[in-house]
Amino acid sequence: MTNLTISRQEQATVLKRLIGYIRPHKKALAIAISILLLSVVGEVLSPIIIKTFIDNHVMKMSFETSAMVTLAISFMFLEIVNVICRYFQHLHFNMIALRVVQQIRVDVYEKVQHLGMRYFDRVPAGATVSRVTNDTEAIKDLFINVFIAIVQAIFLITGVFIAMFLLNAKLAVFVLFILPAVVYVVYLYRKKSAVIYMAMREKLSELNAKLSENLSGMSIIQMFRQEKRMNTEFDDINEQHFAAMMNNTKLNSLLLRPIIDLIYFATIVILLSFFGITSFTTAVEVGVVYAFVSYINRFFEPINQMMEQLAFLQQAVVAGKRVFDVLDEEDMEPAQQEKPYEITAGKIEFKDVTFSYDGQTDVLKNISFTVNPGETVALVGHTGSGKSSIINLLMRFYEFERGDIRIDGHSIKSYPQQQLRHKVGLVLQDPFLFYGTIASNIRLFGRSTEQEIKEAAEFVRADFIQELPNQFEQHVTERGSTYSSGQRQLIAFARTMARQPKILVLDEATASIDTETEVAIQESLERMRKGRTTIAIAHRLSTIQDAEQILVLHHGEIVERGNHQELLAKKGLYHKMYLLQNSIVE
Amino acid sequence: MKVFLKLGWFFKLQWREYTIGIVMLIFVALLQLVPPKIIGYTIDEIGTGTLTKSSLLKWISIIALVALCMYVLRYYWRKMIFGSSNLLAKIMREKLFRHFTKLGTSFYQQRRIGDLMAHATNDVSAVQQTAGGGVLTLFDSITTGGFVLIAMAFTIDWRLTLIALIPMPLMAFSTSYYGKLIHQRFRDAQAAFSDLNDKTQESISGVKVIKSFGYQQEDIEDFTKLSKDVVDKNIRVARIDSLFDPTISLVIAISYFLTLAFGAKFIVEDAMSIGDLVAFTAYLGLLVWPMLAIGMLFNIVERGHASYERIEQILNEPIGMEDRADALTHVPSGDLSFHINSFTFPGDATPSLRQVHFELKEGQTLGIVGKTGAGKSAILKLLLRQFDGFDGSIILGGHTIEAYEKNKLRQAIGYVPQDHFLFSTTVYQNIAFAQVDAATEEVEQAAKVAHIHEDILRFSNGYETVVGERGVALSGGQKQRISIARALMMQPNVLILDDSLSAVDAKTEEAILESLKMARDKATTIITSHRLSAIQHAHIILFMENGTVVEKGTHEELMELQGRYYEMYQLQQLEQLVEQGGGTQ
Repeated sequence: MTNLTISRQEQATVLKRLIGYIRPHKKALAIAISILLLSVVGEVLSPIIIKTFIDNHVMKMSFETSAMVTLAISFMFLEIVNVICRYFQHLHFNMIALRVVQQIRVDVYEKVQHLGMRYFDRVPAGATVSRVTNDTEAIKDLFINVFIAIVQAIFLITGVFIAMFLLNAKLAVFVLFILPAVVYVVYLYRKKSAVIYMAMREKLSELNAKLSENLSGMSIIQMFRQEKRMNTEFDDINEQHFAAMMNNTKLNSLLLRPIIDLIYFATIVILLSFFGITSFTTAVEVGVVYAFVSYINRFFEPINQMMEQLAFLQQAVVAGKRVFDVLDEEDMEPAQQEKPYEITAGKIEFKDVTFSYDGQTDVLKNISFTVNPGETVALVGHTGSGKSSIINLLMRFYEFERGDIRIDGHSIKSYPQQQLRHKVGLVLQDPFLFYGTIASNIRLFGRSTEQEIKEAAEFVRADFIQELPNQFEQHVTERGSTYSSGQRQLIAFARTMARQPKILVLDEATASIDTETEVAIQESLERMRKGRTTIAIAHRLSTIQDAEQILVLHHGEIVERGNHQELLAKKGLYHKMYLLQNSIVE
Repeated sequence: MKVFLKLGWFFKLQWREYTIGIVMLIFVALLQLVPPKIIGYTIDEIGTGTLTKSSLLKWISIIALVALCMYVLRYYWRKMIFGSSNLLAKIMREKLFRHFTKLGTSFYQQRRIGDLMAHATNDVSAVQQTAGGGVLTLFDSITTGGFVLIAMAFTIDWRLTLIALIPMPLMAFSTSYYGKLIHQRFRDAQAAFSDLNDKTQESISGVKVIKSFGYQQEDIEDFTKLSKDVVDKNIRVARIDSLFDPTISLVIAISYFLTLAFGAKFIVEDAMSIGDLVAFTAYLGLLVWPMLAIGMLFNIVERGHASYERIEQILNEPIGMEDRADALTHVPSGDLSFHINSFTFPGDATPSLRQVHFELKEGQTLGIVGKTGAGKSAILKLLLRQFDGFDGSIILGGHTIEAYEKNKLRQAIGYVPQDHFLFSTTVYQNIAFAQVDAATEEVEQAAKVAHIHEDILRFSNGYETVVGERGVALSGGQKQRISIARALMMQPNVLILDDSLSAVDAKTEEAILESLKMARDKATTIITSHRLSAIQHAHIILFMENGTVVEKGTHEELMELQGRYYEMYQLQQLEQLVEQGGGTQ
């Protein structure tokens, strides 16, 4: 819960943009409005039938059968048509609203998918998820409850007025005078509730923030014996929230249904006075009075409904603004020049690459190295030395400006994205499994056949799959928590290998893996690297002793390079790391 | 309806407000009956041409007066009843919070904060609804419904009333049937939405995987499919939802039709007037709300009941360790004698501590080292009395720690936890946490000892800078040092640093330890650490492994031993060298 209030102007912009989403549904909207019109006609006509019945028959005491039957049939016919229309009209408006929201949802999601990693570093995942799901849900309420109610109210009120004009133009003009009163009440309520309702929401979110913080820090509160003070502080906010709630209750009692009812009775008074005064000079048809009374009843129903939804308008607009903020986000993923190059050999060159995440401190400084096709380069170094940044750049997760990275002689910026993604396979340090089955996790959205999936799994020695009761169809729960970290690692290997990449980027797991799978993982890593250009981040030096080249990084610079033997002989940083890992005390 | 009984205490407390509110509600229900009748009379007089200026004035004055009265009464009953329900929400939150502050560590280990939050928000508001909307619908539907029926039957025509009521059960029946249908469909729609939510959550957490395989487009398609499912399921809901209104209209239309047909017959027979008929139809309109309200009432009450039970469950949660009747009321100080034969965390199968024995003189420093899970924190937790039920004894200042009032024991111990939790308030208030009214010099002094003073002065607002999401983002080391300053403010007899120097660099660590020694030369300090440099100067060092002490002594003694401590020391020296990029020129 951040800021809940936005300026009037912003509100208007957000609303306009939201309404713009209806444009593709013009046709459906036209149909819905036509049905609405039809039902309004029905609604307006039925009092006229009753009026005819009262004035022409009841008052005159003439009840000939044929006229009665006609009236009865037309009354029931109108009501049934009206009922049917109302059903479809409600349904259609709902469908439009749902589809509009779906479009917004897909748009945000699409946008999110193409945002750069910088965005994800900056914005917590939970907030982004909330934009895509909860905020769009709030917009749905706006469309369904507010927009539909307003459209219906406008049409019905217009229809009722037309009918009243036809029945008695003079009286209709009088009744017209109540419209400004209604509009003023709506305006007043909207204006007041914008402040009072939002104040209540803000107090509530303050209250919840306080509660949540105190629950998280309860042990500190207790340890430092501050329970009493925290109780007082909580009571204070609780009291403020209560006061805000009371204000809201008072506002609703003053300006919602009670006042609309008051206006309703004022209208009735106008009506009766008019007919009463008219009746002093000329005869008044009782049926017309009845018809007007029932029109007035119908007139106020949609207004009441609309008013009750108004308080939610603000919330939906705030949600809308948050959604549009994501849609307007500018931290996009790096663009590719999409030249028709293909990766064939898999030679990688880093040329004088300097990189910074925040534009201030360089995390990579003049990095240059070459990996020949089929060779393995290992990156070692302390946390924060720049190993992961090298991989982040190679994978095009972040854009870089200084220096260049080339694959087979062309800058990685020039390749089509698909080419890079298909030929460069990344295995992440923390293997991420999706909800589904093992097969679906290896396949992901690819087109691998069952045979290919099996082969990939065999290739990486993921033999444990064969022992599962459902083998490849074995269920994977969220994040794959039922599998050991080693098993998850192997599934991730198979996922990458099923695509037969030319270049392999390995980010070795730091977490300790059970010894059983450890052996399998080492074996499969060796097999995977064979014949592929590989860049590997190694935390355990034992796994990269056969690498053609080892780069030792420190503070974003390559401080040592060479193969295992050469580096050991240097007795430098690598040597010390080696000793440390083998727990050798000199 | 049992929930109304359970809320009896509250109704008793607010009996005046509820009584006034309900009486007003009844008056409104009665007053509502007047305008239709008046309209009927006026129409009759217009019809028969007997309306005079004075009678017209009389009629419209009555309507105006009734309308005004209703407005005032409606305003006040809402204020009374909804106001009371607001108060209930406040009281429930207060009660929950009071209880939360009393519950012990073991409770918080079992419950997720998200769940507890849900009780304090959703459940409270469901109970609030019961005491507000629930009470309203109960009384309003009974009184309005009853009065309208009585007015129809006794002041107009009882036969017509019965006839008009014929289709009404259809409304009750069909709306409750739709309610059942929609319930299942609504659940499906919710499930679809939650699938979509899970999918989004998963894709955004796994965004790197999706990007690295270049599957954005496919993933978007997958999302589109799921979101279409949400739409489809919601349309299924709308198909039923759209039935409610038209059905009600239809039933009313039939009722109108019957009323008009038979009403006309009665008029012809001179049993009633045309004005009566108009009034009667207006009454019919008033009957719709009570019909619907009954259905809503069950819903509100059912939800309120479930929520109230969940809240009660928390309030009934026992508040952990209570003080003994004869508990000591002085703040413990003196030597510490720690003898634990065995201790197992509740719910665990194997003991976390076995045979841990040490004696610490007042003013001495104890260092505890070992890997994660070796039992370092368990020792501290027992000392802090977060858990009881161990085999052995912990004696502080001549008495077992259970003999003291919990409050007094806590006053003796300044604790710096591993997960440096700060409150989202100013730096000043965080440090002065245990003493809100502390003088500036005291706070600054504590900050200086913790070597955070200089850092704080560099913040935009100095000591008034707000910490956390809405304020300055602190590094782990800064948070740790503020936590240390916070504990120092208590001037505790025993200071406990639970691995609280892990995020500060070696130089700062040394400086902090040095100034701690100066500032607290008479007081006891206990430090746990992964890094040996933090405990090197302790009077006694315990080397923990698998819940037991494997080596014990001073740094020199343990180095001499050439055992596990020695080994660890050597490795850490090497590690330090690596961290500094050592060796390469």
